[in-house]
Amino acid sequence: MAETWKFAPAYELPSWPFVAPPELASGERTRHPVVIAGGGLAGLTLACDLALRGIAIVLLDDDDTVGVRGASSRGICYAQKSLEIFDRLGLYDRIRAKGVTWSVGRTFSGGDEVYAFNLKDESFSEQPPFINLQQFYLEWFLVERILALAPEAIRWKHKVTNVEHRDDGAVVHVATPAGTYALEADWFVDATGANSVIREAMALPVNPSRSTDRWCITDVRFTKSFAVERWTWIDAPFNEGRAVWQHLMADDVWRLDYQMDEDADPETISRPEVAGERLRAQLGADVEFEFVWIGPYGYRDHLLETFRVGRTLFIGDVAHVVCPFGARGGNNGIQDAANLGWKLALVVQGVAPERLVDSYHDERYAAAAENLRVTSRTARFLAPRSAHEHRMRRAVVALARTHEFARRLANTGRMAQANVYPPSPWAPGGARSLQNVAVGETTVMRLLADGTRFLGLWIGASEADLAALRDVAARWPLIVRSAGADGDVARMLGVGANTFVLVRPDAYVAAELVAPTAEAVESALRRALSLETESP
Amino acid sequence: MKTDLAIADPDGFYAAWTAAHQGLGESESADLDARLLLLLANQVGDMAVLLACIAAARRAGD
Repeated sequence: MAETWKFAPAYELPSWPFVAPPELASGERTRHPVVIAGGGLAGLTLACDLALRGIAIVLLDDDDTVGVRGASSRGICYAQKSLEIFDRLGLYDRIRAKGVTWSVGRTFSGGDEVYAFNLKDESFSEQPPFINLQQFYLEWFLVERILALAPEAIRWKHKVTNVEHRDDGAVVHVATPAGTYALEADWFVDATGANSVIREAMALPVNPSRSTDRWCITDVRFTKSFAVERWTWIDAPFNEGRAVWQHLMADDVWRLDYQMDEDADPETISRPEVAGERLRAQLGADVEFEFVWIGPYGYRDHLLETFRVGRTLFIGDVAHVVCPFGARGGNNGIQDAANLGWKLALVVQGVAPERLVDSYHDERYAAAAENLRVTSRTARFLAPRSAHEHRMRRAVVALARTHEFARRLANTGRMAQANVYPPSPWAPGGARSLQNVAVGETTVMRLLADGTRFLGLWIGASEADLAALRDVAARWPLIVRSAGADGDVARMLGVGANTFVLVRPDAYVAAELVAPTAEAVESALRRALSLETESP
Repeated sequence: MKTDLAIADPDGFYAAWTAAHQGLGESESADLDARLLLLLANQVGDMAVLLACIAAARRAGD
């Protein structure tokens, strides 16, 4: 007897009202320090970050809701660095309450476990390694947080139609239901996503490529209980020997992602009866389930060659798209925003020179290039291109059952971590992320949540040591604290007593100074602000 | 990358290598060699040496 397939009711998404902009009534062109186009993860995170820093922003979104129309969810995995950013922005508690916290991943071949990891083993942070949550919930929380900080910052149903790029900013032309107008920006940020018409109008090279690998996401709710872990099959017996992903997100919805034949027809594989058969093969005959969403997709990637063109900046998917392995898409849009936010704020406030913004490109382009390299290697492992590549993978899987080293060659995704930034004039030793660890009674992110300041953590410093830095801290955006010699800061960074760790507002380490003088601290700070390049 | 002989008993190694393939079909033999390559690569470990070996193997087939 043919089975009938049940669908869950659609998610109910919030919408916000269109408000006619004041420029339409007054006929006057207004000028703003920062105008952001696009209310996805990257644009909303930047808007929230800047609003918290007290920078007046305008965010233009062509829709009046969150998420992507017709799609139940896109991103689902939010990495520790992103969660730490959201802690600083004041929405982490909502994410934790709604989402699913996890740290264990398992990789299977056929019926056998090949490889497992527990990301908690290398974590010092207050935030867990990962929380899974439908992307639109995260965007929803961001919108509500922005509206609490800056009630008029978001302009819904405002579509950017054209941008004039000038040496001192941009003129942004906008279409609304009530008419068209233009506004000016000192800095313009394009966060309108992979298919940005703003970027395309500038004819900037993005080096796109597409994969022939085909997948079909099936978001589903069912009665069976699985472990709250990330499970991946290299070659699942219930999917004709192809790969499968299994992950839980909010509202008891499981994301099951099935690798398909390369020549599979997207429409056929996403029919409920076809998707239902796949689910039956995995779940067995007796499990009741209802579909939430079925979505076929193929991989694409691109990498924009420069993330800054004059006063125009590119963040999120507009700048970089990678395969979804390891959650390196949305998380990196969020981290683009956190890298850019403090730099723009200090430049707009006149504390740092404009060239500090160049380091946004230097650091985030390097991160995107690394993410592209890492995800491309996973894609190659999961979709061997020849009989011989299948043989190579078979060798890895066969050895992995009995040999520890071979487990590390099985590549079903390398989970997103905060990328290390390469050396630059502003960070001669490069820059690595400091996790949200405890500092006395508080934490790194709580200390960084107030204004736009650097944080100096001096391992084992006395009151007298700290007093010697009082003048420097008064002259610059800097707060200084003592951190325990055997505390989390010292343990995570592997630094000893009497080391001064200069932490940037995005919780990256700008410098580590041993036995610092006030002059050395000031010099390191000036360098991190791009005010000087050489040590005196 | 070493190019001088480092194997104490080269004939013995070659004999053991061929013996390991005894009774295997072409595909099983190729699978065995792929596993063997991974085990040996892990003994070497050094990435620069591994890349030099890959390049040398490719060149020798030209």
